[in-house]
Amino acid sequence: MDVAKFDAGLLHATIVRALRRGGDFAEVFIEDRETLGLRLEDGRIEQTSGGRETGAAVRLLSGEHTYYAYSDAVDEAGLTAAAEAVAAAVSAGVEGPRVVDLGAVVSDPGKNPVRVPPGEISTAHKAELVRAGDEAARGVSDEIVQATVGYGDTRQRVLIANSLGDLVHDDRTRTRFVAQVVAKRGDVIQTGHETVGGSAGFELLDEDIARRTAVRAAEKARVMLDSKPAPSGPMPVVLANGFGGTLFHEACGHGLEADAIAKGASIYAGKMGEVVAAAMVSAYDEGSIANGWGTQAFDDEGVPTQKTLVIEEGRLTGYLYDRLRAREAGAAPTGNGRRQSFRHVPIPRMTTTYIAPGDLDPDEIIAATARGFYAKSLAGGQVEPASGNFVFGVAEGYLIEDGRITTPLRGATLVGNGIDILMKIDMIAGDFDVKTGICGKDGQGVPVGTGQATLRIAEMTVGGTG
Amino acid sequence: MFEILDAVLERAKALGAADVEVFGERSTSHRIKVYRQEVEQLTAAQRRGVGVRVFRDGAVGHAYTSDLTDGALDDLVRHALANAAVSDPDEFMALPQPQGEPAAVDPYDPRLASATDEDRIAVALEAEATALAADPRVKTVEDAMYVDGDGEVFIASTAGVRGSFRAGQCYAFAYVLAEEEDQVETGYSYAVGRAVEDLDATFVGAEAAERATRLLGAQKCPSMKAPVILDPFVSAAFFGVLSSALTADAVQKNRSLFAGREGERVAGELLELVDDGTLPDGLDSAPFDGEGVPCGRTPLITGGVLQGFLYDTYTARKAGRTSTGNGMRGGYSSLPGVRPSNLVVAGPVTPLDDIIAGMERGVLVTDAVGIHSGANPISGEFSVGISGVLIENGKLTTPVREVTLAGDIVGMLTSIRALGDDARWVPGGSVYTPSVVIDGMAIGGT
Repeated sequence: MDVAKFDAGLLHATIVRALRRGGDFAEVFIEDRETLGLRLEDGRIEQTSGGRETGAAVRLLSGEHTYYAYSDAVDEAGLTAAAEAVAAAVSAGVEGPRVVDLGAVVSDPGKNPVRVPPGEISTAHKAELVRAGDEAARGVSDEIVQATVGYGDTRQRVLIANSLGDLVHDDRTRTRFVAQVVAKRGDVIQTGHETVGGSAGFELLDEDIARRTAVRAAEKARVMLDSKPAPSGPMPVVLANGFGGTLFHEACGHGLEADAIAKGASIYAGKMGEVVAAAMVSAYDEGSIANGWGTQAFDDEGVPTQKTLVIEEGRLTGYLYDRLRAREAGAAPTGNGRRQSFRHVPIPRMTTTYIAPGDLDPDEIIAATARGFYAKSLAGGQVEPASGNFVFGVAEGYLIEDGRITTPLRGATLVGNGIDILMKIDMIAGDFDVKTGICGKDGQGVPVGTGQATLRIAEMTVGGTG
Repeated sequence: MFEILDAVLERAKALGAADVEVFGERSTSHRIKVYRQEVEQLTAAQRRGVGVRVFRDGAVGHAYTSDLTDGALDDLVRHALANAAVSDPDEFMALPQPQGEPAAVDPYDPRLASATDEDRIAVALEAEATALAADPRVKTVEDAMYVDGDGEVFIASTAGVRGSFRAGQCYAFAYVLAEEEDQVETGYSYAVGRAVEDLDATFVGAEAAERATRLLGAQKCPSMKAPVILDPFVSAAFFGVLSSALTADAVQKNRSLFAGREGERVAGELLELVDDGTLPDGLDSAPFDGEGVPCGRTPLITGGVLQGFLYDTYTARKAGRTSTGNGMRGGYSSLPGVRPSNLVVAGPVTPLDDIIAGMERGVLVTDAVGIHSGANPISGEFSVGISGVLIENGKLTTPVREVTLAGDIVGMLTSIRALGDDARWVPGGSVYTPSVVIDGMAIGGT
């Protein structure tokens, strides 16, 4: 099956069928996804798995209602059944709007150029990278007791057609390398994690990059063996570049997604134009960074991705919309309508979300901090968008004493409130970096980038065991 | 579906593979969300596909497809063989052999398939309406949902494993926002069952509202070392994280804090922890696991003493024993991995009211954020953010939030001194647990 050449007549007929008994927007989403994954653990490539999943989804919007049906069968029978299922669920009983004829297929292959398609590289060669990563991690120290090294590539081809006449094809390749390393000394066990990935091909990786990535993960784990239990209480917190951006993603970004706004389930609802952060803070969601892990040429509703200014010098300037929420709010979609696969309803999601860099040297920020906590790498966290309260685990953290990074600290969590910490940002460096992650929401995982430069939060609660 | 499985086995044999296992899946599911007494989202789904594992000299290759045409099945077998050529051999990796009769449990109730969309929508509507009516401070029910899944799985192998079963479950869920004087608090509740008629949506709405409103006015409390009561939702989340350290996979890969501690005291003397895939009302009960091995009952902790671990075929062979039937699959596209089926936390119980009445100072923990990120199942250290209600002189007094609870898992298990009389099923890992009372926890507040 070549989704780009899928029968446009059948797509049009499916859209018409979906709107037969009412509704005001209908869409067909066709997906063909090929994946390959290799996982090494215990010095052995124990899993090599790959496959192909195809499917089609029909979505019908009627006012604020969404009707969705999908099937693994991408043929006339599957599409007809899905269209019938959504049509049967509409109660309007009046035929929907005239369906605009589908235009020519639109695509934008130049946006994320793939120089080396992963499909052209042998699985055996990919396996060599994984083995090299394992060897490099174990070479860091005798205290490295375990390494899990993974490689994955995906090619997802989608075709999106809707009753507005849009017909969009997007061919997405993503490649990623992950290393997780465990170090042990006596009873103390610590882990370190590092990744490389992008909406790009195999050009992202070579044996040297694989080794360096695994070594960084191993060093994180080894350093933490010397750690002491973290103290508890309020103190200045310096968040490192790269992984530190996870905090902005979780604590603030989710509250900017328009579904949370529409339900009043966000601290940012009704605050457009208001001060929500310190004046030095500007922030973006940028789905169009070339070859970024969170990047696609189009979102999963066929809307081109873009760079959206969400906070400008401390004031709230934008929300992240999918088509449904944009329509409700009378706003333009921002290319943030994303779905994990054809099995998932598109919802507003972040792409690559970040606080814009400042111009300080990161060392100046540390030097200006008499006593505080330096969070080099976060383990992930959870947030309640309604209240903005969040908790983050710190994977790699240090004490700051007299303007210097000193003892590694373990078992720390950062606890706070989204608006509160943005207001308390008082220094931002210029060492901007983006890391790759998978963000979960409503049971859907999508690739996202999180980033920032090193920055300081004047006061934040650290929860530790010391 | 068996015709397709057999066709895959035939193709694999023709290409020279001797040890082959095929897993097939065919399912339907529904998901309904209502908002302000109208259907916000209705999803109807059909899913089907097959996955194949090829074993060759101790190396395993896996491939899957949702395309069941002849050409796609050819590709499937070829990919699995190619993947087996890349994996490293391991003397313990081998095709699972038939291991006795399937467990006598039927995880399906035909009433599930006879429900209509109207029946399903009614559940979500009732949960939302009850929550909104419960208290004027409930401003929004962010999620009021009905979800179900009705699926058949099939397995066949060249070793003679052959079986299928149908399983169904459904649940109602409500996530409520309560608001007072600019403070927003949240609460949720579930009901689970095998048929729509089993779900008590009124209970779900009322409980979610109660859990949100009782946190209104919450503030930080002083830091202290005090006993805590983890309610069933919080307890289930903790035991869910803990359970990954009780798999043979974690033990054999040096990732478990319980490695080498069989026979030792690792928990309070009253604690029983059992994995049981054969319970009639267990959400994850099944006649056999993702490798065709019968599901069973495996004691993990008895009288506070560690009894053993969970095994799939590979980890069992490596340990020189038999699989406990815990080779679980997420679906046709996933490989089996060692995971719990239903986890049951048991032991002598005390009425919850008596536990609270006997506590001079402590915290009833009703929500914990960051258990999955703030708990390290390898080292056992954890630090999570909690909300709940302060207990003073035997009474529930003021709500608390934005405080942390920190410690290490074994220390916490050892300090379990009582279990409540309020055991229930909590989905999202399928745990059956009462409230759990733990002494001397570090609470970080002001």
